[in-house]
Amino acid sequence: MSVMFKEVTKVFGDGTVALDRFSLQFDSGEFVVLLGPSGSGKTTACRILAGLEEATSGNIEVDGRDVTDLPPRERGMSMVFQNYALYSHKSVYDNIAYPLRVRGMPKSEIAGKVAEVSRLLQIDDVLRRRPAQLSGGQAQRVAVARALVWQPQICLMDEPLSNLDAILRLQTRTELKRLHHELRTTFVFVTHDQEEAMTLGTRIAVLNQGRLVQFAVPKEIYHRPVSRFVAEFIGRPAMNTIDGRIEDGIFRAKEFSLPVPGCADGKAVLGIRPEHIVPHAAAHAGALACRLDVLELVEPDMLLFVDCGGQPLIVRCTADFPELARGAEMYLELPAERLHFFDGETGLRQP
Amino acid sequence: MSRTWWRIVALGVLAVVLVIVVTPYLWLIMTSFKSRIDALADAPVWFFTPTFEHYPKVFLDKGYLPLVLNSLIVACTSTGLSLIVGVPAAYVFARHNFLGKEDLFFFFLTTRMAPPVSVVVPMFLLFGFVGLTDTRTAVILAHSTFNLSLVVWMMRGFFADIPREVDEAAQMDGHTRAGMFVRVLLPLAAPGIAATAVLCFILSWNEFLYAFILAAFESRTLTVGIPGLVTPHGTLWGQVAAVAVVATLPIIVFTFLVQRHLVRGLTFGAVKG
Amino acid sequence: MITGGMGSRILDKGVGTLFLIPALVLLAVLLLGPFFYMVGVSFTDLSFALPGHDGNFVGFDNYRHLMREDPVFWQSFVTTITFVFSVVSVEFVLGFALALLLFYHVQRRRIVLTLLLIPMMLAPVAVGLMWKLMLQGEFGMLTHYLRVIGLLDPRNAPLGNYDLVMPTVMLVDVWEWTPFVTLVVLAGLLSLPREPFEAAVMDGAQPWQVFRDITLPLMRPIIALVLLLRGIDAFKEFDKVFILTGGGPGTATELLSIYTWRVNFRNWDLGYGAVSAFMVYLVVLILCSVFYKAIYWTEGRVAK
Repeated sequence: MSVMFKEVTKVFGDGTVALDRFSLQFDSGEFVVLLGPSGSGKTTACRILAGLEEATSGNIEVDGRDVTDLPPRERGMSMVFQNYALYSHKSVYDNIAYPLRVRGMPKSEIAGKVAEVSRLLQIDDVLRRRPAQLSGGQAQRVAVARALVWQPQICLMDEPLSNLDAILRLQTRTELKRLHHELRTTFVFVTHDQEEAMTLGTRIAVLNQGRLVQFAVPKEIYHRPVSRFVAEFIGRPAMNTIDGRIEDGIFRAKEFSLPVPGCADGKAVLGIRPEHIVPHAAAHAGALACRLDVLELVEPDMLLFVDCGGQPLIVRCTADFPELARGAEMYLELPAERLHFFDGETGLRQP
Repeated sequence: MSRTWWRIVALGVLAVVLVIVVTPYLWLIMTSFKSRIDALADAPVWFFTPTFEHYPKVFLDKGYLPLVLNSLIVACTSTGLSLIVGVPAAYVFARHNFLGKEDLFFFFLTTRMAPPVSVVVPMFLLFGFVGLTDTRTAVILAHSTFNLSLVVWMMRGFFADIPREVDEAAQMDGHTRAGMFVRVLLPLAAPGIAATAVLCFILSWNEFLYAFILAAFESRTLTVGIPGLVTPHGTLWGQVAAVAVVATLPIIVFTFLVQRHLVRGLTFGAVKG
Repeated sequence: MITGGMGSRILDKGVGTLFLIPALVLLAVLLLGPFFYMVGVSFTDLSFALPGHDGNFVGFDNYRHLMREDPVFWQSFVTTITFVFSVVSVEFVLGFALALLLFYHVQRRRIVLTLLLIPMMLAPVAVGLMWKLMLQGEFGMLTHYLRVIGLLDPRNAPLGNYDLVMPTVMLVDVWEWTPFVTLVVLAGLLSLPREPFEAAVMDGAQPWQVFRDITLPLMRPIIALVLLLRGIDAFKEFDKVFILTGGGPGTATELLSIYTWRVNFRNWDLGYGAVSAFMVYLVVLILCSVFYKAIYWTEGRVAK
C-alpha cells in the first residue's frame, strides 16, 4: 500500500500559501516524519491527508485510489491531535471505544479490542475515569489508543508529544517506536523537533515554506543534507556554516581561509558539523589557528565556542579535552571529507 | 456534488425563513400608509399609493403625541435608575466574595422571573395608597424590577471580564476603592454599560402590562395606546398601525446598535455573544 | 494620596456594602413588599365591585373556592400548560434546526442575524396587533391566502373559531420567539471547541453520529438555559394574547395571566384575584428553581 501526495497546493483565504506543489510518496509500514519549522506546511499537509482540510489543487492517492474528494471517515486513517481532543463528556473507555461503536461493532467485541489496546498502552487502569481526571501523559496515551483501536492502515500524529514535559516526551518516544514495530501500522508523524524526527522516523520529509526540501532516511539527512536549510535545521548544536568565496582552490571568508582543492570558484557556503571538527591544544598540521571564546561542559561532551579567523565556530568534543582559559590559542582541524558546500542556497557539492 | 445540493436547499430554506420573519412587520408598516380602502380591501393590496394621513390624525388630532413622551421618559428614567443602582451592585458581585453570594445572586435572577401579572396586583394597590396611581413614577418603579436584575447580571459579566490586575494597579496608583471604581473601572466598562442601557431601554419601552395597569390614562405609554384603538365597534387600522410603527421602529434601529451584546443580555450572561 | 492602615481597609469593605445596599433596598421594596402584601390580600374579601367588601379577613375561603369550585381557573391552568409545552417544543426544534443551518451552511451571518432579531425586539403588543391585522376575518392578508389555498373555510376566521384560535396564537408566539432560540443556540455552537468534532470525524463518525454524540452533549447547558428562559417567559405570556383574542373566544385562549388580569382588573375581585396571582408566582418560582439547579448541575458535570 502506498500513499502519495501529488502536487498538493494549499492557499488559504488570506493569501498565505501553506503548501506549494508538495509531492511525496511512501509505502506502508513506514514511520514517516514531516519535519519543519512552524509555518512550513507540515500540519497542513497532515490535515489534507486526513481530509480535514481541502487542497486548493493536487491529489492524494492511497494505493492508487484517488481519495482527494473522500471525507475523512472513508480514508482508512486515524489521527492523534496535538491537544488530544478527547471527548470530555465520555469516560476513557467510551473515548477509546468510540471509533468501534460508530462502526457498529457489537459491545462484546468492543470490550475485547479496547482491553487489548489499553493494555498495549498501559492505560487499562484508568478506563473508568474521565479525561479531566487524567495526567498529560495518560491523556496522550488515551488519544493514541483511540487512534489505534480500530487498526487503521495509517495513523496520523500531529505533534502529539509537544505538550508533554521533557522526561515524558522521551519515554513516549520510545513507546511509539515499540508500537510501530509491534503493530506495523503506517505512521505519519508531524513535528518541529529534529531530535524526535531523527530518532523516530524511518524516513524524514523536511518541509520549509510549503515545499518539500528533502525526503530521505535519517542517516542521509544528517550526512548529506540537500540544502543549507536542512543542514542547519538538523543536529544539535546546528551545523557551522560560513558564507564566503572560493578563489583558486581556497575558501575565504574575512580572515578565515581554508584550502579546498578540487572545488570550483565562486560564492559558496562552507559547512561542518560541530562534532566533526577536531580540536587541538597545540599547533597541528593543517589545523587553523583560532581563539577560544567560551567553554561549556555538557558531560560527557564539551562545547567549545571558538573564533576562527573572524568566524564563530562551535566544536563538540569529548570532555577529556583540556579546559583552556578564555582567549587561549588553539587549533582546529577541519577534515576534508566532513566538509559540506552549498551554493547560493540550494545544491550540495562535495569535495 | 451533494455538498452544493445541500447548500442550495439550505439557502432556500433560509430565504423562506427570512421572508416569514420580515413580511408581517412590513405589512404593518405598509398598512400605516394605506388609505382605508386599500387597508380593508378584500384581496390584500401590495402596491398602492401611500398616504400619510394616519400619522397626524392619531398623533395630533387624537392627541397621541404625549404618549411618545411618556414612553420616552419612562424608558430613560427606568434605565437610568437601574444603572445607577445596579452597576455598583454588579461590581460587588464580580469582585467580592462573601457569604451567601450565590444565593443573593439567585435572588436577583428570580426578580427577573417574577410574573408581571402577579406583581402588578399588589403594586396597583400599594401605589394607590401612596398616591402614585396613574403616574409615570409608578411605571418607572415597576420597570425597575426587571431592569435592575438585567443590569446586575449583564454588568457582572462585563466587570468579570476586566482583569483583577487593573483594580490592583489602580489601587497602587493611590485610588481608594470608590475612586478606582469611578475613575478607572467605569470608563473601561463603558461599552458594556452602553449595551446594557440600550437593552434596558428597549425592554422598558416595549413593556405593556405594568404600564397598562399602573398608568392607564394620563401617563399612558405608547404600547398602552394600542389596545385603546382596537374596539369592538371597529378599529381604525391605519391609525393603530401608525401607532404600532412609531412604537416599534426606533427600537429596531436601536437593536442594530447592540446586536453584538444581545445574546449576552438575553441569556443573562450565560452565553457570551 | 495613599490612605494606609486598617482604616482604609474598613472603608473598602464598607464601599462594597454601600454599593449593594441600594439595589437590595429597591428590590425589597418593589418586589418583596408587594409579594407579602399580595399574600395578605389573598386572605381578605377585598373587591372594588361588590359593596361592603372592604378587605375583611376571610381566612382560607378564597383558596378553598379556587381549589374546589373554580373550573375556569383550572381550565386556564391547563390552557397555559398546553401553551407553554407546545410553543417551547416547537420553538426549540425549529430554532435549533435553523441555528444548525446557519452554523454549517451560511457564511455571511451578520445580516441574517440582524433580520432575525426583529420579531423578538418588537413590542409584544405590537406583534399581537400585527398578527391580528393579518388574521382579521374579512380583509386579513393571511386569512385571504389561506382561503385561496383552501386550508381555511371561508366561513371561519382563525381568531374567532374555537378550534383554530389556540393553534393560531401558538403560531404567533413561535414566530416571535423562534429566532431567540436560534440566536442563543448559534452562540452556543460557535463557542464549542473544534477539536472533539475533528476527532469524531477522524474516528469515523457519520454526521448524524457526530451530532448525537458530540454536539448535543456539549450543548446541554445551553439547551437547558434556552428551555428555562422560554419556559418561564411563555408562562408569563400576556401582551400578545391580550390584544389578539383577549382570552377568547370565550375562554379558549385564556391563559393564567389573562385570567388573573380579568379577575383583578375587570371583575375587580382583588382578594380572590390575589390568590390567582400568588399561584402564578408560585408555579413560576418552582419551575425556575428546578431548572436553575438543573442547569448548574449539568454544567458542573460537563465542565469537570
